[in-house]
Amino acid sequence: MEEKKYEVVIKIFVLQIAAIVMILPFVWLISTALKNPSEVFTENLTLLPETFRWANFVEIMDQAPFWLYMGNTIIVCVGILIIQLLLVIPAAYAFARLDFPGKDVIFLLFVIQIMLPLESIIIPNYLITKKLGLLNTRTGLILPFVASGFGTFMLRQTFKQIPQSLEDAALMDGAGHLRFIWHVLIPLSRPTIVTFSMISIATHWNDYFWPLIITDSDEVRTLTIGLGMFVQQESGSDWSLLMAATLFVCAPIIAFFLVTQKTFIKNFLTSGIKG
Amino acid sequence: MRKKTIFIILLALIFAFASNASAKTKLRFFYPVGVAGPLVKVINGMVDEFEKENPDIDVQPVYAGNYNQTMQKVQTAVLGGNPPDIAVVEISELFSLLQMDALIPLDQYIEQEGGQKFLDDYYKGFLGNAYGRDGKIYGFPFQRSTPILYWNKDMFRAAGDKLKAAGLDPDRPPKNWDELVAYAKVLTIREGNQTKQYGLIIPGGWNDWIFEAFSRQNRSQLIKEDGLTVTFNSPQNLEALNLWVKLMQDLKVCPVLRPWNITPDDFIGGVTAMMYYSTGGMAKIRKTAQFNWSAAFQPAGKQYGTPVGGGDFHIFKGIPKKNQDAAWKLAKFMTTPEMAAHWSIESGYVAVNKKSYDLKKMKEFLAKFPQMTVARDQLNYAYPKMMAVNYQLIRNAMTTNLDAALEGKKPPEKALADAHKLMEEAIKGK
Repeated sequence: MEEKKYEVVIKIFVLQIAAIVMILPFVWLISTALKNPSEVFTENLTLLPETFRWANFVEIMDQAPFWLYMGNTIIVCVGILIIQLLLVIPAAYAFARLDFPGKDVIFLLFVIQIMLPLESIIIPNYLITKKLGLLNTRTGLILPFVASGFGTFMLRQTFKQIPQSLEDAALMDGAGHLRFIWHVLIPLSRPTIVTFSMISIATHWNDYFWPLIITDSDEVRTLTIGLGMFVQQESGSDWSLLMAATLFVCAPIIAFFLVTQKTFIKNFLTSGIKG
Repeated sequence: MRKKTIFIILLALIFAFASNASAKTKLRFFYPVGVAGPLVKVINGMVDEFEKENPDIDVQPVYAGNYNQTMQKVQTAVLGGNPPDIAVVEISELFSLLQMDALIPLDQYIEQEGGQKFLDDYYKGFLGNAYGRDGKIYGFPFQRSTPILYWNKDMFRAAGDKLKAAGLDPDRPPKNWDELVAYAKVLTIREGNQTKQYGLIIPGGWNDWIFEAFSRQNRSQLIKEDGLTVTFNSPQNLEALNLWVKLMQDLKVCPVLRPWNITPDDFIGGVTAMMYYSTGGMAKIRKTAQFNWSAAFQPAGKQYGTPVGGGDFHIFKGIPKKNQDAAWKLAKFMTTPEMAAHWSIESGYVAVNKKSYDLKKMKEFLAKFPQMTVARDQLNYAYPKMMAVNYQLIRNAMTTNLDAALEGKKPPEKALADAHKLMEEAIKGK
């Protein structure tokens, strides 16, 4: 079907406006991050700072060890994701394709976990972490999140949609559970796995409360805590520094999304065709 | 053989280091950051000085978020049997900490320092929130503030003719509630339906704190000093709330529920001619405002009056005695005249130690920045901030109902009555 020319023009126009609306906050973020504090609130709206004030970044680095925090955040997020995948994929497989007594009740318990807000279980989690001697460690930041009810639920739905005939064929070729998961389920569910990974990383990148509660020393603390130092209740914030810190904190994750987005969309399309 | 000797020497060294390290008293010190500026660094610097003077004490300063988050971190740690040694929390939280049996009284330490004579060095207005119901002292003032009235001198001058026509002096701020209304009216500039400039901002968010000031100015209070008797619903408080509703809803000279932390930016950006705000915002305004401004006592109702605010030091139970002793040393060190002055200059808080103001460096600082003296002088009219158990619940009851009245969703009488009831329930622990 051929699109008429004016339709294309309108489409592009609408999309461009949407894109501007989405991008503007980021542009504003970058611009404020490079402004002089006295330039932030002026009568004339200026998108570009008078002079680019890179010193803002020097100043935030001076106030908190952001590179150290960045390293910790990456270790924690990647750590959580790897263990999550190792646990979630077999669990989802069991719920989707195996039969065992109590399956529905156990699955219900998994789903309930999605609905429990972190704050409501913070004291028991704290006590367990303390008992294991993991307060103020990166392991303590990772452990409470490795069993993801949400991931299990998401993958179970995907695994269920994979035709029984594929499983039968794999069995006939002599594949066991693990082989079937590795060679059939995972490749076919890649879009879901990538989506889940993105959600997981974004969520734990932004975790604030749990790291704040259980960590004390800079050696194990994460980026959000450094960012918190620039949000002030009593005086109002120093916006240029806050935005510089925000930019530093969210730049890697934005870059990560930009990179993975391509494979993400590609996977979506190809799997749709093969379906 | 040689390998073995080296091994043994190494082992001995490790043990020596280990025992050396354990001989030091290790303190965990939780603190919030409430105002803009490199305060994490300032605190670390003060702690370093302390360690230099006390080589046997090793302090780990732990940034713990804003006031609410710091309290949550403290509570979780106490419940988990892992209390900090010393922490700064918001002053109204004292009764909640006492209910958890988390704190030790400091009377003994203060006795050693010289008792009342030692306490006399500190501003009395800041000690009011330090005492428990048993009369013992559980807190020691550190980062302390009061709300004050900021005014934009240039805007006052620009509206000089109009102010004079209304019988008002453009070179001074309002001194009482009637004048506050009159000034705000003249200073508000409208174009059609748009407000170009507000006369005044009474911010939301911590409006319970500002409301407490208005209540004090009208010779009432929110909760009595016993922490049990709620007086939120008093006729004087209703009068105060009616004044707010008049400013925001009827005269529209003050925006409704401007977010707390945006308000200084409104002042700096020339959106408003006056604002009620914490002294904690002063350092930031000094750095960024590009016009003449000053600070003044909050205008009087029946009298001048204000609650104090900020955070105090507390020392915890469930830690070794030598840690408690070391924690007291730290609290005392952080509030010596020199340190309190340093902290005040860096942060904008009021120095809690009277002797700080005799120091040369403080005098020089105030000469350049006379607005900073207003908060200190207003202490003559300061009262302790309200305190009660379940403070966070109580605050929630107060702010939601004040908000509803200011937005015109609830009549002021009903808002006060509703909040009053919720506060009584929170105190009884229902």
